[in-house]
Amino acid sequence: MSGDAANLALPLSRLSTGACEATNLYRELRKPLLRYLVCLGLSSDEAQDVVQDAFLILHRHLASGGSQENIRGWLFRVAHNQARNRQNRYDRNFSAASDAEIDVISHEQTPERAVLEKEKFQQLGKAIRLLTGSERECLLLRAAGLRYREIGEVLGMATSTVGDTVDRAVKKLAEKCNV
Amino acid sequence: MCEFSGKLIAWLDRELPAQDAAEVERHLEACSECQTSMEAYKRVSSEFDAYCEEAFAADAPREIPHWVPAASAAGAVAALIALFFAFPRTRVEPPALHPSRATEEAPSAVIAKAMRATASPIEIVHRRPLVAPAKIMNTNAEPSQSQDAYILPEEPVIQIAIPADEMFPPGAVPEGMHFAADLAIAADGSADGLRLRPRLAGFERRSTQP
Repeated sequence: MSGDAANLALPLSRLSTGACEATNLYRELRKPLLRYLVCLGLSSDEAQDVVQDAFLILHRHLASGGSQENIRGWLFRVAHNQARNRQNRYDRNFSAASDAEIDVISHEQTPERAVLEKEKFQQLGKAIRLLTGSERECLLLRAAGLRYREIGEVLGMATSTVGDTVDRAVKKLAEKCNV
Repeated sequence: MCEFSGKLIAWLDRELPAQDAAEVERHLEACSECQTSMEAYKRVSSEFDAYCEEAFAADAPREIPHWVPAASAAGAVAALIALFFAFPRTRVEPPALHPSRATEEAPSAVIAKAMRATASPIEIVHRRPLVAPAKIMNTNAEPSQSQDAYILPEEPVIQIAIPADEMFPPGAVPEGMHFAADLAIAADGSADGLRLRPRLAGFERRSTQP
């Protein structure tokens, strides 16, 4: 209650600046965040909830004059922690999902090509599920465009550890998929 | 294994310091083993990205295309227009215009007149009296006037009565009930709004007795 009152007492200019910043970030990062969360194992609805919560927290953070440094990593960290709190359905896609879920491969290709693509995806899915949790998370955040330093901030790891983890994970996938 | 193999992925991700990156680039030009590994790492990285995209797409709810609501609205308007012309006319009430607007011919009145002239099969066509609700309520007006006045909109409307049997299966709606569609007409003569309300037929009949 006191926190809400404090937020309401913020200067309007700061509030509107924060809202504008949060809106721009929402446009830019909503989809990468959703994709990261869904690939972590959250359902689409859960991911939507987490993203909404994360941006609400971001808005409060910016409106209260919080640091804007590495806001992308900050946002992913908030979303990651929120996802952690929903641990009951965590890892659904990459550890338990059947490959039937990944069945929406490009519509403009020949049937033979589609079969090959599907087999390749199934193989990759198996290899991904053999990775450790931190390896998967590092690769997912890397695929979302985060730098090693940002990944380290999200996962609470040293940047050098992120580098080693990404290196190990990519090599594992390359080996398992024979690419 | 080549001594540079541990730096290839970091180089691919542009995470190496400039000096290290330059060394890797020089090495790559000469080392076929590292070139092959680099291609494999690039490929597996892009495949991982595609896999994530597919996983996301497979789990995402199917969004309704933007044109669907517009098409639905257009369909509803088309259906209403079809109903507008499909029902046999049983009763036409002359419009009761507000004194201040009595000399003006509003677009809805033009439409009503045109429909009467062409004997269009409309069950009920009338313009509602443009009188403030409170005024009607205080003058002990007829039930139909009170009812009309209570829901009186700001803009002129055309009212179309639609038998319930035309919209619902038999027995779904109490006997004697029909529906009134209020069609608001904008200043340019186009349909501006639509509202559907249930009406009691007996109540209507009483109100139309002289």
